[in-house]
This record gives sequence, structure tokens and C-alpha cells, in this order.
Amino acid sequence: MSRQSNHVQEYCLTVIIWTAATMVSIPFIWLMGDLLWNGWSHLSFNFVFSAPLNAGREGGIGPILISTLLLVGVCMGVAVPMGMGTALFLSEYTRHDHVLGRLIRGSLDVLAGVPSIVFGLFGNALFCQVLGFGFSILSGGLTLACMVLPILIRTVEESFRVISREQRLSAAALGLSKSTTIRTILLPAAIPGLLVGGILGLGRAIAETAALIFTSGYVDRMPESLMDSGRSLAVHIYDLSMNVAGGNPHAYATALVLVSLLFMINLSSSWIASRWTLSNQLPT
Amino acid sequence: MGFSSFFIFALRVILISHFLWTFPPWEYPIARAEGTRLIISGSSTMAPLVSEIGKRFETLHPGNRVDVQTGGSSRGIADAVTGLADIGMASRALKPQEAHLFGSVIAYDGITIILHRDNPVKFLTDVQIRDMYTGTITNWKTVGGNDAPTLVVNKAEGRSTLELFLHFFNLQNRDIHAHVVIGDNEQGIKTVAGNPHAIGYVSIGTAQYDATHGIPIRLLPLQHIPATIETVRKGTFPLSRPLTLVTNSPPAGLIKTFIDFAQSSQSHDLILKQYFAPLQEG
Repeated sequence: MSRQSNHVQEYCLTVIIWTAATMVSIPFIWLMGDLLWNGWSHLSFNFVFSAPLNAGREGGIGPILISTLLLVGVCMGVAVPMGMGTALFLSEYTRHDHVLGRLIRGSLDVLAGVPSIVFGLFGNALFCQVLGFGFSILSGGLTLACMVLPILIRTVEESFRVISREQRLSAAALGLSKSTTIRTILLPAAIPGLLVGGILGLGRAIAETAALIFTSGYVDRMPESLMDSGRSLAVHIYDLSMNVAGGNPHAYATALVLVSLLFMINLSSSWIASRWTLSNQLPT
Repeated sequence: MGFSSFFIFALRVILISHFLWTFPPWEYPIARAEGTRLIISGSSTMAPLVSEIGKRFETLHPGNRVDVQTGGSSRGIADAVTGLADIGMASRALKPQEAHLFGSVIAYDGITIILHRDNPVKFLTDVQIRDMYTGTITNWKTVGGNDAPTLVVNKAEGRSTLELFLHFFNLQNRDIHAHVVIGDNEQGIKTVAGNPHAIGYVSIGTAQYDATHGIPIRLLPLQHIPATIETVRKGTFPLSRPLTLVTNSPPAGLIKTFIDFAQSSQSHDLILKQYFAPLQEG
């Protein structure tokens, strides 16, 4: 009798767990299917590289794609060096309970939870108005950098922290200087963590709407410099689906481009990670 | 050097040189020499239209640039006052307390009641609409429809469509018993198209486009006047709003040239393409 009920219990648990796992993957499959179904037929070489016409109902997304890449470029160009520096400071240059370290860590955790519209208003006030960059890709990229930094720093810091104490002590015993230790031991070992942080940040930046509409703006012309206003892919999707009657087909196609871009970034970074760890583990 | 590491090295060289050739840094300065640039900001309803007018203006006046930013009518007026924008966009008439500003109407937009296509109700009086929004009528049976509860769709605070609707039906926003609160026109249409018992109000141009492209909604006449771009253009449709360009001082120079261009017959086809009603005579 008790064996029987045990059996039933096991069976129920298996069913529940399988159901949960299947249900989690349904939204993703649904979403991708919906995007492909509605967007695929509008996707073409011309769509990706030509300029939008008639408020985006016709033409393509060329300038918008370039603006997005520039925005992400500015964001990562600023965020990665600053993030690495801060993460090294937190994990290597201060004790874990240091006052300044605790202050920085605490404020980063608060910033990571701030809604992006708040970053947008902050970026508009600081970069567009006080610093006088106006609506520009520079303002947008810097705002995105502010948004991405908390996630980036915390992930990179964690990946420095998991490096074992023995490795650091061995380096010290060999008489390696701090900079040599960082360059030859800590950085290579932290590369996978860095990439994860980078991808998380990049994903958040590339899909951002609210923070960008007030900083990099709405202009869908090909940007001529970083001081030009430029519309990002996510802002374009939002505008097409919410403000433009008949904009839905191109909104779907643009979303498909955005998702493919994310896929490409993910794939290439995991490829880099695997190559990097292979070439650095063994002396050549 | 093995073959595969040589291959990777070559690939890197090719990729980097290709990138430099496509985006040469020496041709890509941080700051571009300033031409004359008009900055326009405001109403999200007007932004796609004014962007298109701006693009045509740029081709006719080379060397000048028109940058359009969005964020809502209130922001358009605020930016015109503070000087952040040369021209503000407001999808409503100026209020008495804004009388010190200079408004130029470039087109009209009508607002109408929309129902789901399967709803048998073909006409509602002003009083019936008012009662549905205040929660006095809660079932479609009362106005000759099916026995089903009404689903009232209202606009979010700060939208000029809401202000115009409240003003026309002499309502306060706190009087309205809304089940759904929406932001943009397309969102309102999607909500009503997805619910056979919903009632909502949106821009006529957008609704007319969607209704003729298979979206299951119906535009109701108001005071027996059909809701079409033509009646809005003639000025006979009772519930309409002017799309206004706002400046802080009397328009002069390039700003005046742009406003004159937007009002002229040269931009009529663009206005019609965005489903608004141009001024009657250019």
C-alpha cells in the first residue's frame, strides 16, 4: 500500500516538473513563432539597409540599425573599462568590508533596480541639458552606460572573487607585482564572467526604449556624427506599433532584426569565450 | 605559426580593415560642423507626420536639418517655452493660460467612438456615451445591444485625446469609471478589436485606416455625422482637434519658412498619408 502511494507520488512529481519546464519554453517558442510568422515575409536585404519612408510603413531600417550599433558601441566603450576598473577596485584593492567598497556596492545594487525611464530622465537632465550634448547618440550611449554599469560591475566582481586564494598566494610567493597578477592570472580567469556581464548589459542596452526616447531621440536619418540624434531599433518598434497606423508589419520585421542581432552577439561571445579559455589554460 | 592561427590572424586583419574602411575614424568626427538645425518636439500623434514634412523640407532647403523629438503635447509646449525646442507640437488648441505662445494649425484630427465590429449597436447619442463612461449604463442591453456588460476603455492622464473627450462630453476624469486605461491610439484600437463588448475613443484617421484594413472595429457617427477624414476636413464633425505647431515668439526666419511649408498644399499629400485632415485650402 505504502509502496503504491510512493509510486504515485513519484509519478506526480515527474509530471509537475515536466509541465513546469514545458510551460517555461512555450512563451519563447510562441514569441519566436509569432515574430517569424508576421515578420519574415517583410525581411529582405533592402529592408535591413535602406532608409525608412512614410513614417516607417515603407522602406527599411538602415539608419536605425547604424544608430543602434553606434549607441551600443558608445555604451560598451565607456562601460567596459569603467566597469572593469571598479570591479578590480572592489575585489582586489579593498577588503570586502571596507567602508567605501560597501558604499559603492550598496549604491550599485540600488541602481540596478532603478526603472529605465528614471535613467532616461536623468540622462536628459545631465547629458542633454547640463553638459549640452542635446538629443544625440553620445547622450544616449552615456545614459545606457549608466544603466549597464551596475550589472556589469557586480558580475565581473563576482568572477574575480571566485578565483581561489591559492592562486593569488602563489602569485605573491613568486614575487609577481599586483599589475602582473591582474594581467596574467586574474583577467584571463575572469574572462567568462566578463563576457556574461557584457552580454547581460548589452542585452539590456540594445532592447532599451524608455531611456533612449529622451536622450538619443526620435530622428530616423542616417547619423553623421555622435552628436546627431538617432533612433534605436527598440524605439522604432515602439513607434511603429503605437503611433503609426499600418506600421505593424514593419514593427514585426524590425523586431526580428533586433532578436537576430541579440542571437549573433550571444553566439559570437560564447565562441570568443571558448577560444580564449582554450588558448590561455595551457602554456604554448 | 600553424595554419589555423594564421587563418585567424588574417581574418582579424580583414575584419578590422573592413571596419575602418566602412567607418573611417578620420571622417567620423565627434562633433560635426553645425548647419542650421530646427529642433521640434512634442505630441506623439504628430511626430511621424512632422518627421515626414521635415524630410521633404530638407530636400527643398539643402543645408538645413529638421530634428523631430517626441514625448507628448505637454512636453512640446514646455520645450517651446524653455527654448529646448524651436517649435513645439501640440495635438490640441492652445489653452487660455498659454495665450502668450504662438500657435499655427497645420491639420485637423477627429476623435470618434469605436466599438467592436460584431457589436450590433450602430449609433449612440451623446447622453448615452456620457452615461456609459460615468458608469450609469453598464449593459449593452440598455442601448439596444446584446445582454453583455460594457467594457469602458479610457485614455491615460496627460493625453490630449482625453482632454478633448472630457471637454466635449463635459466630464471630469474622476467621473469616469474605466475598466481599461490606454496610452496611444493603436493600443486603444487593439484593445477594442480584442473585446466584442468594449467601447473606446481614438483618432479617426488611425481608426479609419485600421477598419479598412481588416481590423474588426466600427467607427460610430457622432450627432449623426459620420466619422470620416472628409467630415473632419469640412469642419462638420463635432469632436475634432487642431494639430498645432507652437513657438515662443512670432515665427521668423527658418522657423516661419518651415511652418508656412507645413501649412501649404506642398505637404497635403503627406498629411493625408498619415490619415489626418489638411487645412481646407493651402
